[in-house]
Order: sequence, then structure tokens, then C-alpha cells
Amino acid sequence: MSQTRRQMLIDPLVDNNPITLQVLGICSALAVTSSLQVAFVMSLAVTFVTAFSSMFISMLRNHIPGSIRIIVQMVIIASLVILVDQVLKAYAYEISKTLSVFVGLIITNCIVMGRAEAFAMKNPPVASFIDGIGNGLGYGLILMLVGFFRELFGAGSLFGITIFETVNNGGWYVPNGMLLLPPSAFFIIGLIIWAFRAWKPAQVEEREYKIQTVESH
Amino acid sequence: MGLRNFFDRVEPHFERGGKYEKYFPLYEMVESFLYTPKTVTTAAPHARSYIDMKRIMTYVVMATIPCILMGMYNIGFQVNTAIETLGATGWRVWVLETTGIGFNAANPMVNILHGALYFLPIYITTLVAGGIFEVIFATIRRHEVNEGFLVTSMLYALIMPPDAPLWQVALGIIFGVVIGKEVFGGTGKNFLNPALTGRAFLYFAYPQEMSGDTIWTPVDGFSGATSLAIAASDGYQEIVARGTTWMDSFLGFVQGSIGETSTLACFIGLAFLLTTRIANWRMIAGCLGGMIAFSTLLNLIGSDTNPMFAMPWYWHLVVGGYAFGLVFMVTEPVSGSHTNMGRFIYGALIGFMVVMIRVINPAFPEGMMLAILFGNVFAPLIDHFVVQANIRRRARRHV
Amino acid sequence: MSDATPQPKGPLGRFLALPTDSVPKTVFVAVMLCLVASMFVSAAAVALRPLQEVNKLIDKQVNILQVAGMYEPGVDVVEAFGVFEPQVLEIATGTFTDQFDAASFDDRAAASDPALSVALDDDPAGIGRQSKFVTVYLLRDDAGGIDKVIMPIHGYGLWSTLYGFIALEENGNDIFGLQFYQHGETPGLGAEIDNPRWKALWPGKRVADANGELQIHVAKAPNASGADYHIDALAGATLTSVGVNNLVQFWLGETGYASFLANLKSGDIS
Repeated sequence: MSQTRRQMLIDPLVDNNPITLQVLGICSALAVTSSLQVAFVMSLAVTFVTAFSSMFISMLRNHIPGSIRIIVQMVIIASLVILVDQVLKAYAYEISKTLSVFVGLIITNCIVMGRAEAFAMKNPPVASFIDGIGNGLGYGLILMLVGFFRELFGAGSLFGITIFETVNNGGWYVPNGMLLLPPSAFFIIGLIIWAFRAWKPAQVEEREYKIQTVESH
Repeated sequence: MGLRNFFDRVEPHFERGGKYEKYFPLYEMVESFLYTPKTVTTAAPHARSYIDMKRIMTYVVMATIPCILMGMYNIGFQVNTAIETLGATGWRVWVLETTGIGFNAANPMVNILHGALYFLPIYITTLVAGGIFEVIFATIRRHEVNEGFLVTSMLYALIMPPDAPLWQVALGIIFGVVIGKEVFGGTGKNFLNPALTGRAFLYFAYPQEMSGDTIWTPVDGFSGATSLAIAASDGYQEIVARGTTWMDSFLGFVQGSIGETSTLACFIGLAFLLTTRIANWRMIAGCLGGMIAFSTLLNLIGSDTNPMFAMPWYWHLVVGGYAFGLVFMVTEPVSGSHTNMGRFIYGALIGFMVVMIRVINPAFPEGMMLAILFGNVFAPLIDHFVVQANIRRRARRHV
Repeated sequence: MSDATPQPKGPLGRFLALPTDSVPKTVFVAVMLCLVASMFVSAAAVALRPLQEVNKLIDKQVNILQVAGMYEPGVDVVEAFGVFEPQVLEIATGTFTDQFDAASFDDRAAASDPALSVALDDDPAGIGRQSKFVTVYLLRDDAGGIDKVIMPIHGYGLWSTLYGFIALEENGNDIFGLQFYQHGETPGLGAEIDNPRWKALWPGKRVADANGELQIHVAKAPNASGADYHIDALAGATLTSVGVNNLVQFWLGETGYASFLANLKSGDIS
């Protein structure tokens, strides 16, 4: 095994983050991050699905025929997603209403499929499980960061608890309405990628072109 | 020239290896503001022209002067008129009373001075807030502070509502400068118009302060919808019915952002930009053509439920930000298309989109800002297809 | 596989040892997986169904409690909701009907059922089809008389259909409250219909004037009928406000609950 278990867990947080480095799972990161609570539940759901689907796929990996391997992965992932959806509807109805279709869309989240195909098909169950947890946490970290900025500056609250009293409720804070619209997550994810790459220059991609210097003083 | 000597004396300190190497961009900014830049092209191809970046930018700022004057006059006129019935409060009243200028709406000078008290704080805030971020990026990224910012800040200030809170003005220009320009590498590498990026940010972030009926004339208790808002709800005939003639709209005595109300002032600026060849006529032609063609088509189609369908092109021309956007934003060379054929298509796309958004989208009465940003995003694609088509055409010739 | 692999035992073991890509094994894996997964999924769905049904019901009841001003976080919803008396109302006659079971009647399903609804030609609320029957909720006072009535309303705003309830006092004319529980309007503008400050404008307003003319309106400024019938439009959300205005006038007017409200006023319904 090339990585220790600790590395498997820590690496996807910053060094190999599924959102900021591999740019996967963006769709749900835009849709469910307008409040922290929802982002948190979504992170948990994705972590759960990634971890267990990786584990099950890894357990079956020596028996999965190559010709139907994607379908097999999909069936396992989809079953887990339906389970999560049903549980949320039963025990966290309010949140599942806000998440609406995005729980179901975890099936199409590239992170889950990506880990199943890239890692779980080649590694033993425990390692796959930890890898799934790690990537789920990496996804969750970004979701929570985005959710933090969007909820704090967009609605003046965190986890639904008022931090800045907004003008409409008699306070001083003028909420930034753009942050409540999904596209704002693009800006925030972009800025987070910028911050990560300033911190870890190794993540900066090499240019495919060279800018010629045409001016001098 | 004592000043020139002074610059020559201190310059070595700012150059590579000098004491203040880090602050070269600052030195360069001050120096090139006062003298012709010393930048020379080192790589082929070489083309000689008297027009350099500094001159282009200065010309554009000069072209906005009619808009600034008309804008200040109009705000002062609107405010002074409203004050006659509603009374006035605020620090501007104190200034005008102390200096003895007063609130006579019939006196153009009084109006302009009153308008300046709205325009200048916004403009100064823009310069300071945006300027600070320009310098920060220039210092870290080691590129020069470009005169382009003078244009950006002027255009940005002119498309603000007169009553915009100054902290929002600052936030918007910072967003425009950083996200609209600097993250892509600074002047010349921005694919969006920075001034419009900042304005769009404010439009979506603080819609209550950026749209509506009460923000265009900053007097308590005053409510006046823009012509576009009236046309969207009751049809363009209603604009005239409420006492605003086409000529009023053309001259600029209507509700609207500071610099964009007067179509006439914009066209004076356009004449200047076209004479000096700063603005490319193809973009203007494309944008006018697209707008006229599509709005006429919609006139012919007609609609029972949407009165905007009936608005003729000459009204589209004079209401909202169309004229200002056409003259100063569509023609912006960096974010627009770069091929001649592409410029027609780019202009036409914006002309089409502006009518599309104004007439068919229910949420946004004004469409110029979004249409231009939309055009900006498509400009490289348009160029790509124009170039490809050209290559194919020439390849065929040689078979 | 290395030499150390033990010989597979039993029929299942021998089967699993087949080459992974062989046809029998592919079919076997596919069938087994589908079987296990479907059992797993249906077990979860069946086991959790009762809880989900309760949640859905509670969610709707919370909205009704909120519009009646009786909801506080932590309250036992089912118990608090017990005081309401659901009734299926025939809109055209304004009387209650026993054709349906009030507890399980589904308004939204009825609105798309051709037998139970009518297509609208004049459709200011933008709803397409209107159900002939809706569920209304009555709140009775200690003496058994009607204290408040809560009626469902819906209509198109800017981007989405707004679903909500309006609560009236027993005289059928004084508004007690209005609440939307589902919409997709612009955050910060149209979505301010959820803002408690805006909702607080509704209580105490009147629906119709002394002559019985419908006067309630949502607009920027009061019209000739005066402030008693006027609710301030949302700042910066013209089209959502117009939508709310249209849908409230649609549902409280002749096309909606007018005959029911008339029956309420005259005391024909109790």
C-alpha cells in the first residue's frame, strides 16, 4: 500500500481535494450551500455514501465482471442513496425538503463514482472505506466553507442562528442577496481554489502556452 | 523641466535592484500619468502609432464629459424639482444653504452643483476603493497600474444610481476590479467589462438599493419609476402619458443612473470616439442593427399580455442604459470581439439580447448590463468561429 | 491468483471461482446484486413509510398552525392541530360536502383531476385548473361557534407557484393572517413574502367594503378604498407582489371563496 491510512484520510482535505483540485461534485456544491445546516447534512450523506459504496464495491471487486462494472457500481451507489433519502425523509423531514432532489443526485456525484472506479476496484475494503471517508470529508470541508460564507454574509446567520441582525429584522446588516443565489458558489469556490493554490503552489497547473514578453521599459 | 529631472533622478531607486524595487508600479503610475509612457515594444510585429494605451484611455474619459455634465445637471434638476414639494434633508442641504447656492430648479448651474454633490462622493469612493486594490495587485503581481482604471472608475461611477450607499459603491468596484479583471491577469486580459462586473454584482447582491422606484431621485418620500419600469408594466405609451416625452428621454431629463439618462450626451461622446477611431464602428453598427431588427420583429409579432412587445426601436434607444452601454461598454476593445466580422456579430448579439431581456424576461426591466456581459462571454467564441471560417475559406482557395 | 489460493469448496465456491468475465458469472453477479439491492431498498422504504407519512402530515399542519398564529417551536403539532376541524368545501356553492373524507382529501390531486376541477379561461392567478373542492380548516371557540377559518390559496408569482393559506375571522371579512409554505421566488426580493415583518401587515385588514365589493389589494400605495384594504407591496419585487395581489383577489373574489364567505357572514354555516 503506497499510502498510510492516515494519509488516505488527510490527503483529500487539502492536498487532493475532490472539489478544489479535481473539480468534481460542483453541481451539488452550488445547490445546497446557501445554509450551513443543509450543507452539513449533505456532507454527511455524501461521506456515508462514498464510504460504504467504496467498501461494498471493494468487497466484491474480484467478482465484478468488467463488462458490467459501471452498472454494478451504480446499483450499489443508488441503493445507498435511496437509503439515505428514505432515512432523511423519515427523521429529518425539514432538511430533506430543502435538499429535495439533491439527495437523489448524489448518485451522479462524480466523487462517489470516481472513488469507486479509481480506488475501490483496486484496493481492499478497509482501505477503500477510509478513502471514501476521506474524500467525503474533503467534499464536506469545501461545502461547509462555502456554506459558511454564503449563510453568514447572505443571511447574517450561521446554522440558522442570527449573527448579524439584518436590516429587514430591524438590525444593521444589509444581507448580500447574491450569495443566496446558486451562482455565487462559483465565486466562492474559485476564491477557495485561489487560496489553496496560494498556500500550496504545487497544485497550480502548468500553463499550456507561453505568454511572450512584448514590452519593456 | 524640473519635474522630469526629479523623475530621472529617483527612477533608479525603483528599478530592479533599487531600494524601492517593490514600489515600481506606484512610481510608474505617477510618472506615466504625467509623461508619455516609455514602454516600447520589443517583439515582432511592430506597428507605429501615436495612439498608445494612455491616450486611448484618456480619450475615453474625455468622451464621458458630456455624460458627466448632463448627468449632474439631471440629478440636480430632479432633486431640486422634488424638493419644491417634498422638502429636503441631509448634509447636502446644509452645504447648499451655507454657500448660498440654493435649490432653484430653473437655474442650470445650481442644478449642476447640486448634482455634483451626488456624483463626486460616488466617484471619489470609486477611485479610492478601486485604486487601493489596483495598487495592491500591481505591487504583488509586479505589473503596472494602468490608466484603464481611470476609465473603469469613471464608467462605473456613471452607472450608479445617485443614491447608492457609498460602502456598496466601494464593494462593487472592488469586486469589479478583482474578479472582473485582476484574477485574469489585469488590464488587457479581462474577458468581462470590470465596471459592468461590479455593477452586476451590486445589482444581484443589493437589489433593493440598485433597482426600484425610490432610488433614482434621492429625496425622502419621492417615488418615480424609470421609463423602462413604466413601459414594462403599462406599455410605452404610458411613459408619454405620465409627462415624459421622447425628447425628454433623448435629452436625459428622466429617472435613471447618473450618467446614462441622456442619449444626446452619449452620442456626443460617440462622435468623439468615432472621430478619433477609439471606438470601432462595426460594434456600434452591429448593436444598433440587432436592437432595431429584433425590436421591430417583436412589434410585428405583438402580444396581448406583454405591453413591452409593442415598444418601438426609437424608444428602446432612448430609455434605460442602452445608449450609454452602446457607446462606452459595447465598444470596449478588450472584452469585445477582435475580428472585424466578429465585431458585427458581437454587436448584433448584444442588440438582440438587450431587447430579449427587456421584453421577454419578466424579472429585469433593464437589459443592457446583462446583455453586454453576455456578449463579453461569447466574444472569444465568436472570434474563434470567424477565424476558423476564414481559414477554411482560404484553404479551399488553394485546392 | 497465487499458488497459495485454497481450492474452492462447495457449488457456490466453485461458481465464484469461475473467471470473472465469463457469461454465467456475469449473469449471476448481475442477478444477485439486483436481488440484494432491491430487497435492501424496499425493506428501507417499507419500514420508514409510516414515519414519512407522519412527517408530511405534520409539515402541512405546522403551516396551518402558523397561519392561525398558534405555532411555537417544540409544540406537539398533532395535539395542537387537533383543535382544527377540516371540512371539504364545494367552492361554487360555498357549502361543506360529505362526498369526501376531509382528513384525506388531496386538494392538489383534485386540481389536476378533470372530474373534480375546471380549466380556467380567465386566469389571473396563473393556476391553469381550479379544483371544485378544497379543504378548509375551522377553528371553533369554546361555545362551539366558528372562530377562524383557514383556506388554501395558490397562484403564480414571478418564478414559481406560491402555495399558502389565508386565515379569516368568523365574520368572513377580517384577515387574521397569511402564510406561504412553498414558493421559489428570488431570495431577498420576492422571497420576502416569508418575512415576518411583511406577514405582520396582513392581520386586521379587510377583504370587502360595506357594500360587499372586494377591495383587498397588494400595491405600492393604497387605492381609493383606503388603508384598511391595502397591503404594502414588497420593495423591489414588483412581479411577486402583483402575483400575490392577483391570487388573493382571485381566491377571495367571485371565482374563489366569495359564496363561502357570504354564507359565513349570514351565519348559514356554523
